Amino acid sequence: MTTPLEAAEPAVQAAGPGDERSTGRGTLQYALSKAGGALFSIAMVIVGTFFVFRLLPGDPVRNLAQGRNMTPDQLNLERHRLGLDKPVLQQFFDFVGNTLRLDLGTSYEYKRPVLDLIGERIGPTLLLAGTGLVIAVSLGIWQGTRSGWRPGTRFDRFSTGVSLVLWSVPTFWLGLLLMMVLGVGIGPIPGLFPFRGIESVDAPDGFAYVLDVASHMVLPCLTLVGVVYAQYLLIMRSSLLEEVSQDYVTVARAKGLRDDEVRRRHAVPNALLPTVTLVFMRIGFVVGGAVTVETIYTWPGLGQLFYRAIKVPDFTLMQGTFLLITVSVIVMNTLADVVYHMLDPRVRSA
Amino acid sequence: MRKWIARLAALGVALLVAGQGATAAHAQEPAAGKKVLRVGATQSMDSMNPFLAVRLVSTSIHRWMYGFLTVPDSKTLQPSADLAESWTTSPDGLTWTFKIRATKWSDGKPVTADDAAWTFNKIMTDEAAKTANGPAVENFESVTASGQDLTIKLKSPQASMLDNPIPIMPKHVWESVTDMANYDAEKYPAVTSGPYIAIEHKKDQYVKLQANPNYWRGKPKIDELQVIFYDNPQAAVAGLKNGDIDLLGRMNPPEFQAIQNDPNIEAWNTQGRRAAYLQINHGATTTDDKPVGDGHPALKDVKVRQALHYAIDKQKLVAEVQNGLAKPADGSIIPPMYKDFFWEATGDEKVTYDPAKANKILDDAGYKKGSDGVRTMPDGKRKLEFRFSIHTDTPIEDKLAEYLTGFFKEIGITLTTKKLDSSKFTEETGVTGLFDIAISGWSVNPDPEEVLATHLCSRRPAPGGEGGGTESFFCDETFEKLYKEQLQELDRPKRAETIKKMQERLYTEAPVIAIYYNNDLEGYRKDRITSITPIPEDKGLLYGGSGYWPFYTVDVKAAAASGGSGGGGSNTGLIAGIVGGVVVLGLAGFLLSRRRKSVADERE
Repeated sequence: MTTPLEAAEPAVQAAGPGDERSTGRGTLQYALSKAGGALFSIAMVIVGTFFVFRLLPGDPVRNLAQGRNMTPDQLNLERHRLGLDKPVLQQFFDFVGNTLRLDLGTSYEYKRPVLDLIGERIGPTLLLAGTGLVIAVSLGIWQGTRSGWRPGTRFDRFSTGVSLVLWSVPTFWLGLLLMMVLGVGIGPIPGLFPFRGIESVDAPDGFAYVLDVASHMVLPCLTLVGVVYAQYLLIMRSSLLEEVSQDYVTVARAKGLRDDEVRRRHAVPNALLPTVTLVFMRIGFVVGGAVTVETIYTWPGLGQLFYRAIKVPDFTLMQGTFLLITVSVIVMNTLADVVYHMLDPRVRSA
Repeated sequence: MRKWIARLAALGVALLVAGQGATAAHAQEPAAGKKVLRVGATQSMDSMNPFLAVRLVSTSIHRWMYGFLTVPDSKTLQPSADLAESWTTSPDGLTWTFKIRATKWSDGKPVTADDAAWTFNKIMTDEAAKTANGPAVENFESVTASGQDLTIKLKSPQASMLDNPIPIMPKHVWESVTDMANYDAEKYPAVTSGPYIAIEHKKDQYVKLQANPNYWRGKPKIDELQVIFYDNPQAAVAGLKNGDIDLLGRMNPPEFQAIQNDPNIEAWNTQGRRAAYLQINHGATTTDDKPVGDGHPALKDVKVRQALHYAIDKQKLVAEVQNGLAKPADGSIIPPMYKDFFWEATGDEKVTYDPAKANKILDDAGYKKGSDGVRTMPDGKRKLEFRFSIHTDTPIEDKLAEYLTGFFKEIGITLTTKKLDSSKFTEETGVTGLFDIAISGWSVNPDPEEVLATHLCSRRPAPGGEGGGTESFFCDETFEKLYKEQLQELDRPKRAETIKKMQERLYTEAPVIAIYYNNDLEGYRKDRITSITPIPEDKGLLYGGSGYWPFYTVDVKAAAASGGSGGGGSNTGLIAGIVGGVVVLGLAGFLLSRRRKSVADERE
């Protein structure tokens, strides 16, 4: 394992691509213990989910009635259909048992298995939020690196400024603004991109379909990137700033390495660590989808599904999507820990 | 190297802009020569199964798909022939015989009285099938068929029989459905007898309907009707401005004002079928007269309710909350568009904005103002501090609450706003009675029976505190008597008189206070829709109307031959796609090569 000396000067080691000192066994053990913790968290989440959703306001059956004249008999029939007439403890065991068998129940609103609905919606969400994440991360890291390496330059001031403005702008507002400018068009600027759904109503086939979807992705993707990329930029910038003042950078420079090289091979890899964690945590949330963005653009993903579930409220659907989101966040956090462990010797020695 | 990225990106952006500029439109146009109408909707279908569907958009689509016994006449809104071509009533008003039209289902099978009888019997016997229209068959004793004759025997006379809201379903398709509660009828093409046949439904995205060639009035003028769903109203308005959709209904005043000056859009502003009112918790009870909820005791006093009424400046509300796009209410829950049934207060009875009078009423009734300007109950125990329940996500209601708070302050009453999400709102104001004053409003059908019935004693929650469908927890002997009277009165003018008396009762007793009648705000593309007939025909409603008339009569321009703007869509996409791909691949390749190079450097 690592010696204190190595730990004191971790960056150089970590940066070395040929550096294979992390023993497989150590990482595996670490991963297993983390996985154990994750499993425990997931179990707690399953238990918690059941009770949290029982505490929420609104009786689902009354709500399904939507103010219509329903007899108590009809209401009871609905309750029976939804299994809400059973004792709470029984409902709880049913819920846990079913969840473990990956049966997330039937949606009140859609009258279909929640797992089917999630299966249908996860594709569009991964497409949109995944693309958005990739662009946001690449853009953020690139701009953040440039800004952090030469702080105070015009580029730095410009990109930090822009990203901060976008970061503080409400997603909904940015989405509408983009819709008005790039979707409908203003004055002589014509509308460029569609702003509803994932495809046209009369969608073409074949390659044209791919392009159709691509053009539908532009605005939601832009909105998503606009509001999230600032955090990558800022974290990358600040952690690079921190690295720049470290001794090893001075040493590297003193060795006569080109500035570019010092940045790319020494400073950036170390500065990347916090960003990596952030990326992984974000991937967890990607599954939950960008609820607001999907709602603005009627994007048929998990975010829209979750939004509708809350609106009804559709308890089983809310439980299902909520479970999915929390579990994926837990899984991604665990993965982030493990990856961090592999990347950073300081964690290994801890 | 950095310059290269910049150049590549600049090239990409330039190509993108050039490509886009040349071909602005991106909506995929339908096949050339085909007439397609695209209607925007901001509410999604709850179910394609008419036995279950309750949302306005769903029932509208079902009205375009299925035949009913009768439909409102396009001019008078009085019941006229639909699937029933004629009908007779026995002298005691208890037996109705409908002659079912000899026409065909969209699959070619004949429509018979048996289909209608099956539909009604299904709702009468299957609890799940009651979901959407249970109350409409509550008074049915039996329904039988013989050839084309349908006989409905009633438990007691019912004047609203000819406004039956139940679509007639094809027995041969639906009788095999065993689990109605879980059947969503997602089978296409659907078998229908109305003007349109549903051919595709993508949940939360769109419904496509095709003209029914077998429709008894003749095939509609357009080939296809598409209902396109938007999650947010602003996007729908943008869609209309952009030409992605041709017609949009149910707009709020700010959205409507956004389209008013667009040269391509006809802004459709007419009297609506909706009344907005305040419901007042004047002592909520269950059907066995047990009190429920926590309504303020002062509101049990009709004088307090009337004082509230005098304190409301409805003109101001219309001008500033509804941006002038409504009519101040001097009547009750039936809006003026229903000329036959509309009632308006006159003379001494009429309540006009008069805070001095409101103050006097309260002073005389012993509600004294304290040093803080707030009145207390005559027994001095409680201050007149009321809660006003509104929905969380409706900005207009926030604005309304602000104005009402101001009005009531003038008469020494404090109003605090309580925002509730819609499920909690429905529960607290309709079942558990946990409110003082709440915003409310109903869209009224050509036959107003249902909206009147929401003020019946029997509509209050059952003894267990469950069920019901009350609007105001109202239970009033005079109102009940008048309700029964109008229900048994088959002579329309006489019935209308009784209905007016009911509204007068609501006006003077004030369990609800009508504040204004919202205009019907819609918009359609003048450059696409060549003709459309509203209902009623003299400046009536389009999407928001009852029946299928506007959507049956509508005509649109056929899609242009290929090479029109439609072709641009795929070009734009193509260019955007290729440019995007090139940029991304270029960037990736560049970064990868740099990385490799640096690794190689290090190894050396």
